[in-house]
Amino acid sequence: MTPLSRRQMLRTASCGFGYLALSGLAGAAPADLALRPPLQRARARRVIFLNMSGGPAQLDTFDYKPQAGKTPHAGSIAEFRRRGASGLWISDLLPNLARHADKLCVVRSMTADTSIHAQSMLQLHTGDRLRPCPSLGAWVAYGLGTDNQNLPGFISFNTAKPAEYAAAQLPAIYGGTPIGINGEDMSLATLADIRGDHLPPSLKRRQLDLIQSLNRGHQNARGEDAQLDGVIQALELGFRMQTEAPDLLDLSREPRVVLERYRVGKNHAVGTCKASDFGRQCLLARRFCEAGVRFIEITHGSWDQHTDHRRDLTANCATTDAPIAALLDDLDARGLLEDTLVVWGGEFGRPGLTPGKDKDQTGHQHRAFTFWLAGGGVKAGHAHGETSHDGSSVVDGAVHFRDLHATILHLLGLDHDNLAVVSGGRRIRLTGLQGGRVVNEILG
Amino acid sequence: MRFVPVPLLLAAALPLAAADMTPVQRAFFEAKIRPALVKYCYECHSQTADKVGGNLLLDAAPEMLAGGDSGPALVPGEPDASLIVQAVRYDGLEMPPKKRLPPTVVNDFIEWVKMGAPDPRSEPVNRAERAPQEPLWSLQPVADPPPPAVRAAAWPRDPLDHFLLAALEQAGQAPVEDADPAALRRRLNFDLLGLPPPPDEEGDPRDPAYIDRLLASPHFGEKWGRHWLDVARYAESNGNDGLSRNASFPHAWRYRDYVIAAFNDDLPYDRFLLEQLAGDLLPAETPAQRDRQLVATGLLALGAKPAKAMNDNFEMDVIADQIGLVGSGLLGLSVGCARCHDHKTDPIPTREYYALAGIFRSTETLWGAAARQALTAPQTALHRLQTAAPAPPRLELEPVLLANPPRRPPAAPAFPQPPEAALAMGVREAKKIEDCKLHIGGEAKRFGASVPRGFLSALGGHEAAPGPTQSGRLELARWLTRPENPLTARVFVNRVWLHLFGQGLVATPDDFGVAGARPSHPELLDHLATRFMREGWSVKRLIRALVLSRGYQLAARPGEHPLFGHQPRRRLEAEAIRDAMLAAAGELDRQPGVGSLIQGRDVLINELPPLHRPSRQRSLYLLLLRNAMPPELTPFNLPDATAVTGSRDRATLATQALYLLNNPFVVGLSQRFGARVQAAAPGTDARVRFAYRSTFGRTPTDGEMQQARDFLREADLMLASTAQDEGPAGRSDAWAAFCQALLSASELRYVD
Repeated sequence: MTPLSRRQMLRTASCGFGYLALSGLAGAAPADLALRPPLQRARARRVIFLNMSGGPAQLDTFDYKPQAGKTPHAGSIAEFRRRGASGLWISDLLPNLARHADKLCVVRSMTADTSIHAQSMLQLHTGDRLRPCPSLGAWVAYGLGTDNQNLPGFISFNTAKPAEYAAAQLPAIYGGTPIGINGEDMSLATLADIRGDHLPPSLKRRQLDLIQSLNRGHQNARGEDAQLDGVIQALELGFRMQTEAPDLLDLSREPRVVLERYRVGKNHAVGTCKASDFGRQCLLARRFCEAGVRFIEITHGSWDQHTDHRRDLTANCATTDAPIAALLDDLDARGLLEDTLVVWGGEFGRPGLTPGKDKDQTGHQHRAFTFWLAGGGVKAGHAHGETSHDGSSVVDGAVHFRDLHATILHLLGLDHDNLAVVSGGRRIRLTGLQGGRVVNEILG
Repeated sequence: MRFVPVPLLLAAALPLAAADMTPVQRAFFEAKIRPALVKYCYECHSQTADKVGGNLLLDAAPEMLAGGDSGPALVPGEPDASLIVQAVRYDGLEMPPKKRLPPTVVNDFIEWVKMGAPDPRSEPVNRAERAPQEPLWSLQPVADPPPPAVRAAAWPRDPLDHFLLAALEQAGQAPVEDADPAALRRRLNFDLLGLPPPPDEEGDPRDPAYIDRLLASPHFGEKWGRHWLDVARYAESNGNDGLSRNASFPHAWRYRDYVIAAFNDDLPYDRFLLEQLAGDLLPAETPAQRDRQLVATGLLALGAKPAKAMNDNFEMDVIADQIGLVGSGLLGLSVGCARCHDHKTDPIPTREYYALAGIFRSTETLWGAAARQALTAPQTALHRLQTAAPAPPRLELEPVLLANPPRRPPAAPAFPQPPEAALAMGVREAKKIEDCKLHIGGEAKRFGASVPRGFLSALGGHEAAPGPTQSGRLELARWLTRPENPLTARVFVNRVWLHLFGQGLVATPDDFGVAGARPSHPELLDHLATRFMREGWSVKRLIRALVLSRGYQLAARPGEHPLFGHQPRRRLEAEAIRDAMLAAAGELDRQPGVGSLIQGRDVLINELPPLHRPSRQRSLYLLLLRNAMPPELTPFNLPDATAVTGSRDRATLATQALYLLNNPFVVGLSQRFGARVQAAAPGTDARVRFAYRSTFGRTPTDGEMQQARDFLREADLMLASTAQDEGPAGRSDAWAAFCQALLSASELRYVD
């Protein structure tokens, strides 16, 4: 970053967001992406969130429920076996991920408040299922800033709804930058207009300064204006993104063998399973992670296999299994897994099928479902929580989204109690009014 | 509110009441049925159950008939049509869930239903005690409250100002000062026309005559029509059908033009809805009127449909889109939840969802050829118009289509039309008028009883059921627009308010249900709804009253004021940003768009390279393809046109910066703007003044003038230091760079 733009960033930061009250961070309320040290010991420095949209079937992936007793009950229809030294149960639908069993921390006892997709998805992202609130990635970027000032702190691939990556009450600069919108061809997803050679670089910089000067003049005519602060910062960030993002998005120099391992371009749409080019997303996640982006979300859907459960579940697993395994391989090999927290899960799960019944349909199950985490300071080769014999309820160790959020922030060295803003007279934090509980049992 | 489901089947098949029962029948019930119900069913289906399964009670005869989420438990005399029999047979439904009943008990149930389900348990259950609910505010009748007294009696100009000021005074707050004329002029022009005021205009924006001139402009319909197109989830292609196929809608633009004309002609809103839901069923005095009314029904055909292939639910998915539109778009109720279960929060039982579904099932939806490709939606007919001009394919797309033939050859047209035919999407009565069976859990092949076509009982007026020979669309439209309907007017005035004040009186414009927001000014909302209906549902009169109010004409401040004590500084919508850029550069073509680039082309969009072509026309005439929206509009939060969008997202994103800095449209426009500025006047200062007036409608300050001079001088030096042959073709010069900066400045995109 040039000294000039840095100065301007600080000037901008100082003249806005007077209404933001912040505690739990060192120094004053930030409004830029500058790196900030966490206040407490951090085990993770960055997050890759594998958003499995639609409600993955936990009983056929990670929460093994064989038939018990004489009466058939809902349970696992996939074959399971114990994996690795830890002996974690993982289904045969995920053969590649199963290699990494000893890296995973499986939370089998997740619970959510609702089985309405949109609301639960919003709650998973923002802690609130009705009102607009900052997304988890935005909170993390706000709390810690980011390593690379030429890239956003939070990138969201294949996003569905803007509310899920929104900055909301936080400064706009912390909101997710979307790359590829759900429904588009993800194999082509990129940042539009990232290149422009109509002006020499020096003049582009000079032109940006002129625009920013005009914007500040517009803003100062009316005093403080958070919205225009956001415009000024977004413009600055967009400008800086031109330097690194094009190369990061360009996979043409990746060796063929790497593209193969990640299954880049292997798009098999079957039933609910969409062509998300999940391999490309995983490889891009690794590249942006290496480049110093704080929070990366990638999305595959839909796991909402109401009809043709077996066929669509198999397709969803096959589409995601190898790419995720390749991502974990690479993070591990590069020493990044140690301080990169990988989170896998969706807005809820599904009830199991009952053997002997000629049905192939599953609905929604928000009372008990599975997430897994890896790296970033969580226990490895560990299963947390227990569900009932048919997987329909949590018997032990319930973890709500609020608790998951508190735990993720904790691993990053942030305190969910205090990471808050005041907006419109309301104190807003990720874990809401009720607050969350750091799940100490899964900390390594 | 107490909501008692009406057992709709009573008239057709009454159960044998206690008095009509023979002693043998009574004995059969007491000996066989009651013990079985108690033993096997009451655990989940009685008032004593901890949690009532499927909202169904089996401990009273009226409850069994009224049924639960899946519909009535039985149809007296018809075992095969009775859910309870299907359930104990394990036929689609499986009850009791854990273990099948012994065959003898199953046969007892069949026998019992066959004899007319004699049942002495005639006392109804008080359901209200089970599910107490606060009355839903939006279902209460629309009131006509008198404007409240205020202390600052000189402040209000319109009765609505009394409501605003009273709330402010009660909160101990005062409104800010009035907007200055320049700001108000700009606000009015963008709000009513979506365009900047001409730079040299001097009219007094507080003068009602000024506002009447704006309301009479043909651009008014373009601006307010576009708001409606957001509600109508309007687009010119189907969007990804789940199998990546995205078929074009080559006739959709006729509906766009209908909407624009409707707002320009101030078609009363009740009539507007009537035409869109049932225009094909209305009498027409002229062939042109008939055409117009047919085009209006395009609303119901424009939805994004899933693939037909491997989808037993296709027909019900199309209906779900139509019901969703009526629900969220017109009533502000998420009726769609009731497809699978009684609405968890709003008083919409599943049965009534299927009462509405019957109306659309008895309606034939005409979306057209769907690119004549297998696996997408099947081909349908289209409305053939009598007076409208035909719309032959445009030559602009010929090369790209020739170079990219369909990957699979299209099927023969199932509904061939001569080339001169003018066609339109829409709906008409189906050949077969029939009620819809309830689909248990929303599934394709689990049927409950057939539900007579009808409306939502929670809104009243539902007794007027459609006759046996009509779909019921006309009746539905009349039911929606009766003055007693508590939602239709409220929802629409709130939509209008939102566009003029930056936020709605109800913050969730598409949800007036229990999960939605409560109105900030309930009495004001009712005042406006009453007035709107009393004044003949005139949209122009409503907007005129709002913009002449003191509240509207207040000065702007950053951020929203919860009580409307100031106007919020607002960012323009994507369309207006592009239009304003074109206008600033002197390139905007203000003529109405004619047809569409995609007219006459039944193609799969997903198999083609981008079809967008440079255009100087207003943005709403650009090619609006689902999943392939114009790149000139997408950065600024254009909706994806898959669902009703009452309020657009307005997030600031870094990707918007990239658009302003590098997008070929912005760069090219800046270059032409720069050339125009240089041609307009001699000398730097005069040119800068010209550029400022064109872009911001004002003269630059001294500081800004100096800044411009500095920039232009430095830019020339920088450009000179990079040799001409080094730079690529299409390089900008200093004036182009300067003009791009003006076009990218926030002042162009924000309105005070």
